[in-house]
Amino acid sequence: MLRSTSHNLKNGIAYCSMVLNRRCLATVTPSKLGFYDMTSDTATEVTDDMFDIMRSASRKDDVFGNDPSVNELEHYVAKLFGHEASLFCASGTMTNQLGLRALLTQPPHSVLCDAQSHINLYECGGLAYHSQASVTAVTATNGVYLTADDVDANRVLEDVHNASTKVIALENTLNGAIMPMEEMQRIHTLARNENIKLHLDGARIWNASQATGIPLADYGQLFDTVSVCVSKGIGAPIGSLIIGSKEMIRKARHLRKLMGGGWRQAGLLAKIAQHCIDTVIPTMPETHRLTKKLATGLEGSGIRILLPVDTNMIFIDTAPLPMQELADALQKKRNILISAEDNGTITRLVLHHQIDESAVEGFVQVASDLIKEKGISFPTTPSRPKVDVSKAYPSIQH
Amino acid sequence: MSPVIDNAAREHVYDLTSDTATQPTDEMFDLMKTASRGDDVFTADDDSNDLEAFMANMLGQEAALFCTSGTQSNQIGLRTLLNQPPHSVLCDARAHIFVHECGGLSYHSQASVTPVMPKKGLYLTAEDVEANINKDTLTGAVTRVVALENTLNGTIMPIEEIRRIRAVCDKHGLYLHLDGARLWNASAATGVSMSEYGKLFDSISVCLSKGAGAPIGSIIASTKDRIRHARHLRKLMGGGWRQAGFLAKIARHCIETAVPTMPETHKLATRLANHLQSLGIRLVLPCHTNMLFIDTAPTGLTVEDFAVELKKKNIKITATPGSTISRVVLHYQVTPEVIEQFMDVATSVVKLHGKPVNTTSMETDVKEDNGNSTIEPLTAAYPSGKN
Repeated sequence: MLRSTSHNLKNGIAYCSMVLNRRCLATVTPSKLGFYDMTSDTATEVTDDMFDIMRSASRKDDVFGNDPSVNELEHYVAKLFGHEASLFCASGTMTNQLGLRALLTQPPHSVLCDAQSHINLYECGGLAYHSQASVTAVTATNGVYLTADDVDANRVLEDVHNASTKVIALENTLNGAIMPMEEMQRIHTLARNENIKLHLDGARIWNASQATGIPLADYGQLFDTVSVCVSKGIGAPIGSLIIGSKEMIRKARHLRKLMGGGWRQAGLLAKIAQHCIDTVIPTMPETHRLTKKLATGLEGSGIRILLPVDTNMIFIDTAPLPMQELADALQKKRNILISAEDNGTITRLVLHHQIDESAVEGFVQVASDLIKEKGISFPTTPSRPKVDVSKAYPSIQH
Repeated sequence: MSPVIDNAAREHVYDLTSDTATQPTDEMFDLMKTASRGDDVFTADDDSNDLEAFMANMLGQEAALFCTSGTQSNQIGLRTLLNQPPHSVLCDARAHIFVHECGGLSYHSQASVTPVMPKKGLYLTAEDVEANINKDTLTGAVTRVVALENTLNGTIMPIEEIRRIRAVCDKHGLYLHLDGARLWNASAATGVSMSEYGKLFDSISVCLSKGAGAPIGSIIASTKDRIRHARHLRKLMGGGWRQAGFLAKIARHCIETAVPTMPETHKLATRLANHLQSLGIRLVLPCHTNMLFIDTAPTGLTVEDFAVELKKKNIKITATPGSTISRVVLHYQVTPEVIEQFMDVATSVVKLHGKPVNTTSMETDVKEDNGNSTIEPLTAAYPSGKN
């Protein structure tokens, strides 16, 4: 069971070394150097051929909604999710905040979400800022995903003192774990009965869909707004889309300009996003297979796996082996990059389509060799303990 | 709908509604391949960092941040100066930050706005500013920031006046922000360097996607501390983009290739302005840089009458139905041939359909009436997505 986390950003000293790693590797294409960045699927690298595809895009002004490549992408993605319209934006933070803002009409109001969710922890307090909304951050009782019972037990009712729940925001996948469709449907029913809106942070919904076989539209139709990212596992350099009704998206476009997201010749970004959606999604099952292979391999060496490995993420605890030692060995021997906090033993590994089988095998080998070399013996723990995984994320310290 | 430019021989439409219409060229995509591919959320992208350092240096500031748009860079810059309500921003009543940023000042900074119409002439003066500073700490929203725009509607604010306004701000303990979306044009026209302008301000927003020619982006420049805060604000506003290196690289390339051509663009704009005036068309504002605000009323025609004929020559201008005013904007991708075409079309339209006009007494007017400026409302002149 996961303890509810108050997000602590004071432990990112390892960030510096990670950033240095990134800096020296950032200018080189992976094909030239063969390095594997497993700190996040946002690390998906831009490849040379992408610029040739970008060249073929239209070059009109997206502020006026005039660009054919952007409009095509928006139409395409909306249809994929069974909705009327969508809007292409600079980031997942923007699309989440736009979707939520469009559903939140007037304070007092609040959003109910998972305490571990991106909108709660990693969007700079966006809910308060953009929507003057309070947040009911709920710790999942089962430690992995919110259930309808969790939601019902924590939603805020109408009362003179209260900021009542106006939106339930779910995230799928969250920490790489899948929220089962049945549970989403139960929450959907509850929300409709109580006249509460529903938003999906579907930054990685693609992974969920590929893993479960459930069509994107089946997920999409449960929600009033859906945010989906193209710059993570999908592999595009920039971007995210907010999906909803025509009216909602019309409003979102206006809000996007307010947020400074009214970009001009964005056709080139849309074109490459479209290409990546079409070519990368089919590779996700393989990425998931490799992720499971890596998890199994590491577990075999005694490393603990902290959360279910449903898709492309693994949360590991290497205690008593310091993560930094594993990170150093991986970088030196196999050009594999993982995030490692000073004195920490927990991290998140994220795979994507540019991580291949040899990298996974190499990882397992390096870990196994290091453990043997150091004579590490791991504590035996039959069940997943309470852990704070907030330190597992790459972060920035100032 | 206008045709698309691509490397096949399709028809190209010359869009004179705005200099945001500058488009990436085929060659730029090869240059993009050489860009760095780091993650800009973690400040780990070399080309983004280089662009920011380059622009900071150019503007005489410590640091800079690459943002998605001019709205974003303006609002972020202002936000870093606006620490705690109650507070307000004093700006020109026509300013982009007040009129065209979706109420951003209220939204992002909970700031009120004191919109000031210049009492005389085209731009705010030190007297305008001083007369409108709010110091009411009991019931008012005290002025915290004075925000200028240069160029504004294509017209230039002289550096001497900026210096005077800086002195007023210093006297009253106020910050000074510049919306320098088109500062490039002011600098090209006056010969005053970007850094000479830049040093006078606490924060400066400079656009890359207008006349400077980049497909996307804008810069905010200020002190190191404010830009650190700005980066955090940028993420909050959803501007934390990932592999932005190729956008930064191309922006830098465009600055180096497009900006030096601005004097030529300005010459073309003046040429067009003079010709249109000779046909009886009135200039609503003087043509200082790359913009003309025209009023076709003296010819008895509406803008649409011209727009329809220009469209046949693949030239697009803003034409609000029923209106006689329009803003015409040139940029480096508008060639002299296009301007010749424009002039020919205008000549024939006036000849065929216009009423005879006495052109001898035409001059650009900003009328003075009892000391009050009567600068005309220009809403219909701007592109709106509906015209």
